[in-house]
Amino acid sequence: MSELLEMRGITMQFPGVKALDGVDFTLRAGEIHSLLGENGAGKSTLIKCLTGVNRMDAGTIRLDGEEIRPASPQQAIALGISTVFQEVNLCPNLTVAENIFVGRQPMKHGQIDWKTINRRAAELMARFHLDIDVTRPLSYYSTAIQQMTSIARAVDIQAKVLILDEPTSSLDENEVQLLFNVMRELREQGLGIIFITHFLDQIYAVSDRMTILRNGHLVGTWGVSELSKVELVTKMVGKDMDVIFNLKRADVPGDAPYMLKAEHIGDTEHIRDISVSLKKGELVGFAGLLGSGRTETAEMLFGASRATKGSITLDGEDVTLRQPFDAIRAQIAFCPEDRKRDGIIGDLSIRENIMLAVQSRQGFMHPMSRQEQTELANQYIRVLGIATPDCEKKAGELSGGNQQKVILARWMATQPKVLILDEPTRGIDIGAKAEIQRLMLEMCGGGVSVIFISSELDEIIRCSNRVVVMRDREKVAEVDGEGCTQQDILKIIAEGAA
Amino acid sequence: MKKTFDLSSLMQSKVTWAVIAELLILLVCFAIRPDFFSISYQPSTGMLYGSLIDIVNRSAEITIIAMGMTLVIALGGTDLSVGALVAVAGAIALKFLRWDVLQYHPPGDYTVCSYALVLGVPLVVCALMGLFNGFLVAKGGIQPIIATLILMVCGRGVAQILTDGKQFTTGYTPFRVIGQGSFLYLPMPIIITLVVVLAVALFTRRTAFGAFVESVGVNPSASRLSGIKAGTVILIVFALTGLLSGIAGLIYSSRIMSNDSNNAGLNFEMDAILAVVIGGTNMAGGRFSLAGTVVGSLIIRTIVTFVYYFGIVAEATMAFKALIIAVVIVLQSEPVREYFAKRARARARLNGGAAA
Amino acid sequence: MTSTKNRQTLWSRLTNPKYIMVYATIGIFLVIYAFGAVAYGDKGFTTLRTFVNLFIDNAYYGISAVGMTMVLITGGIDLSVGAVASLTGMFLAYGTSVLGLHPLTCIAAALVMGVGLGLLMGWVIHYLNVPAFITTLTGMFLARGVCSLISRESIDIHHPMIDALAGWKIYLMRLVDGQWVKVKPIAFINFNVILFLVMIALGTFILQRTRFGRNIYAIGGNEQSAKLMGLPVGYTKVMVYGFNGLCSVLAGLSYALYVKSGWNLSLQGGELEVITCAVIGGTLLTGGVGYMVGTLFGVLLKSIIPALITFNGNLLSWWGKLATGGLLLLFICIQRFVVTSARGRK
Repeated sequence: MSELLEMRGITMQFPGVKALDGVDFTLRAGEIHSLLGENGAGKSTLIKCLTGVNRMDAGTIRLDGEEIRPASPQQAIALGISTVFQEVNLCPNLTVAENIFVGRQPMKHGQIDWKTINRRAAELMARFHLDIDVTRPLSYYSTAIQQMTSIARAVDIQAKVLILDEPTSSLDENEVQLLFNVMRELREQGLGIIFITHFLDQIYAVSDRMTILRNGHLVGTWGVSELSKVELVTKMVGKDMDVIFNLKRADVPGDAPYMLKAEHIGDTEHIRDISVSLKKGELVGFAGLLGSGRTETAEMLFGASRATKGSITLDGEDVTLRQPFDAIRAQIAFCPEDRKRDGIIGDLSIRENIMLAVQSRQGFMHPMSRQEQTELANQYIRVLGIATPDCEKKAGELSGGNQQKVILARWMATQPKVLILDEPTRGIDIGAKAEIQRLMLEMCGGGVSVIFISSELDEIIRCSNRVVVMRDREKVAEVDGEGCTQQDILKIIAEGAA
Repeated sequence: MKKTFDLSSLMQSKVTWAVIAELLILLVCFAIRPDFFSISYQPSTGMLYGSLIDIVNRSAEITIIAMGMTLVIALGGTDLSVGALVAVAGAIALKFLRWDVLQYHPPGDYTVCSYALVLGVPLVVCALMGLFNGFLVAKGGIQPIIATLILMVCGRGVAQILTDGKQFTTGYTPFRVIGQGSFLYLPMPIIITLVVVLAVALFTRRTAFGAFVESVGVNPSASRLSGIKAGTVILIVFALTGLLSGIAGLIYSSRIMSNDSNNAGLNFEMDAILAVVIGGTNMAGGRFSLAGTVVGSLIIRTIVTFVYYFGIVAEATMAFKALIIAVVIVLQSEPVREYFAKRARARARLNGGAAA
Repeated sequence: MTSTKNRQTLWSRLTNPKYIMVYATIGIFLVIYAFGAVAYGDKGFTTLRTFVNLFIDNAYYGISAVGMTMVLITGGIDLSVGAVASLTGMFLAYGTSVLGLHPLTCIAAALVMGVGLGLLMGWVIHYLNVPAFITTLTGMFLARGVCSLISRESIDIHHPMIDALAGWKIYLMRLVDGQWVKVKPIAFINFNVILFLVMIALGTFILQRTRFGRNIYAIGGNEQSAKLMGLPVGYTKVMVYGFNGLCSVLAGLSYALYVKSGWNLSLQGGELEVITCAVIGGTLLTGGVGYMVGTLFGVLLKSIIPALITFNGNLLSWWGKLATGGLLLLFICIQRFVVTSARGRK
């Protein structure tokens, strides 16, 4: 097979860090090549060098044997390198069809040929087995369809190299299979596909080769059959996996009092009727697909969305949760799913991010002194091992895992009785993941009751005392964490309650 | 070791540029008119006189409004209605003073209408109008610039209707004090400005309110989930801005001892926003600097004074204002500051290399 | 293979949610017009003349609103339009009446000034990353200041060409017994109206039929995405501000023809009127949404209010400001509702 793309000695320097240090990467025509590494390993930076978003400091890129140096996304696209980014990078106000064709619309008589655009867009979407009205604005459709639209755009550009950066994070199982079929089809047509994902299973399901990066260095390139999953993870993390899998479930005595009891809560839109209970020091996992109502239930328990019916009892007392403030006063804490949008306050310092929830509970008229804030922040920086020179660094400049720790610190500082964690380990590297899980279990040991929401069943099973399984916005089953397997839960998710 | 004078980070601060610009303009003024910095005492009025005093005095309205505007901009919004509110405040105040005119013809000695009403009602009305803006933003979820556009468009209409489109004048001495009186040898507007600036600074920095404003400005959703009642913060900020516009309106109408629904506060929103931006607060929201805003407001006024010295007609000052502001804004712009930062880094590297 | 959903019936095309705001504008215009027809029909509100006058009296705002709509769709704003239009009037008045230049020379100079300033502001906004609000505000100060430097008094414009252009009109005719007669009361359209309609048509063509126009929408929808999709973001933004400069100059020309003079303080606050026209025409100030047809009706809607007040005869003119504010509030609430309901559907 010929080398379609050849990157040699790519080096990229950011102020203070070497994001890439002499990385080599090759891609053949007609292969799906996974690019792996923890967050901050340099995957995104490498892609950005290739697509002209960043300028590399050293190294060469050859496409079809010719040296290229894309200076902007435009140039990269013109060269035949097209990218689908993790977040949907389309225009919500334009129609689905237009999002596929904008910037390269077919013209007729010096005018845009709308008929052709709409027809061809419909055909493209039909290839994905999506039967939708392509003349409606993109914002009208779900994230999955938006993601498909951006893939359709990338595919239609007649690219030689297609880069898929975490395209599956918002897709459900069927949609992922659909995407894989399309990817295989494109591979047959001789495209080179670079596939970036956090889901290990998907790598083995679809790719031919994989390249692993760690801390800006190349670890190596292997065929998928040459490396087992455990070997793969070990190479990504660079340390033994035992640390990660040696976690012990929280120990909850059978007669432990109930900390949180939510009975028949629901609203008209998202959740019909759900009851959840939580013992002191217990960790309850919420399993289910995206959109199954996990997050909505959590938001209701935190007052972020309002329950119109049912009752919530906390530590034996009835509470009414109209807004997050009420929940915080009742000592409930909530780490939201979307860290960037709902969690971290990027421009403020770590200190301010950590003291925020405590301060908002006190009200702004009872300010904490600067010294109190610094002490609080430093205490949690130490306890959680947040990697930062001092507490005045902007929280937005931290890595994903450290940001998650800052948010965790914000909530630990409020001394919560109930802690709700919505996908706390998503998009952070395995080392940090293990640490977050350890912290979670430590807090259970300290008497905090934890609700743990995750898409990754293995970590739910590993940590939970009980698992609540959700499907179609309802609780379909509740199983013991001990002794249940992924297969059991998958079966419930797929088929409903046994 | 850490506390060494860090020039490069200082050069990257927007406030630094604002201060340098102000000093430069002042220096040029001084070069043209050597008596520029002189301040004299006028026993007849009990006030100090001088160009510097005059600049601070004349910038009072904008500084006061810009205090509120700083918070609005830190929230990521803009308040376009402040100029219209200045007109409304003047109209209401003169409306109350006018009742006296009807009853007592000799000017200067009116007692019928309580002075408290003359001052209180405009302030309350302006605060309520600010609250209306805040309500649209906080509860209606409407973009601030759009929500305040409404009052900007119809605020002057309200002022006109209140006064039947007439311009009243008054000679009521206690009212004159606000804009033309003095206290501690200083013109009254300066004293009022000092009090306002101090009050707003204390309110934001001695409580956690400023931190809440910045937090909501950076990330409203995360702030709400951290328990900040974003709606309340927004309501307070807009009501405060309304109130401050009212104060500015009283000063303005006291200076002219009249109401002028068409011209009072004209373009004040623009000047106030400029003052805030020149002062280094980012229009996208987040960190704010009240001190920077004060400097920004002074710059705007200094430019006007500066232009007078060239004997240029009052209306044309705008052109010069534009030129100087353009320079300040370009110097503050991201690419330019980055360029300086890069150069500073390169020099540091060079020096470090030499040392090693 | 073709699915049913993609077969475009006229009905499904018309019910596309992206047109809701335009329908709202047209609907409210019709309601107010109907109200005027019922209340003041006997005073001649329903005549063709009243309707045509809506165009004649507001053409200059309309012309400017064409450019403003584009700027707003990119998510920007331009506060300099009133001042640039006023400066155009000054160029024309001072040039012809004081310097004795040919009007075309003055117009050419004004075009260079307006388009140049627009391009410059666009460049500063995009490449120096200065907020549009601040940049164009500075532009406004500059243009207004230069106006006052030229002259502080109103200058009348006397030139045969200008007189001819301002006086030129087409009478509206109708067929009576096989003969064309002027409609009564006499109604006509003039150069300004034609310019306005041509600009609306041109604007529609640019927005709907050219890649440049679609890029404008894309930038307004999500500038970052537009960049990553490989669209020429910088070029488009700079050109949009340049085009808006052109519109401002044409609006200034149109206003000069309307009042036949130039004054340094004319069209003060004009930018606000123009923005209001665009907003009540369904253009979102947040960018990404807006149609020229909406802007056309926005201009009509805004100009029908003073017309109603004139017909009433008892109301003071500043009630118009209140009514405009009320309209704005109404539209902002509708927009809010539309946005919320669109999200709720997901």
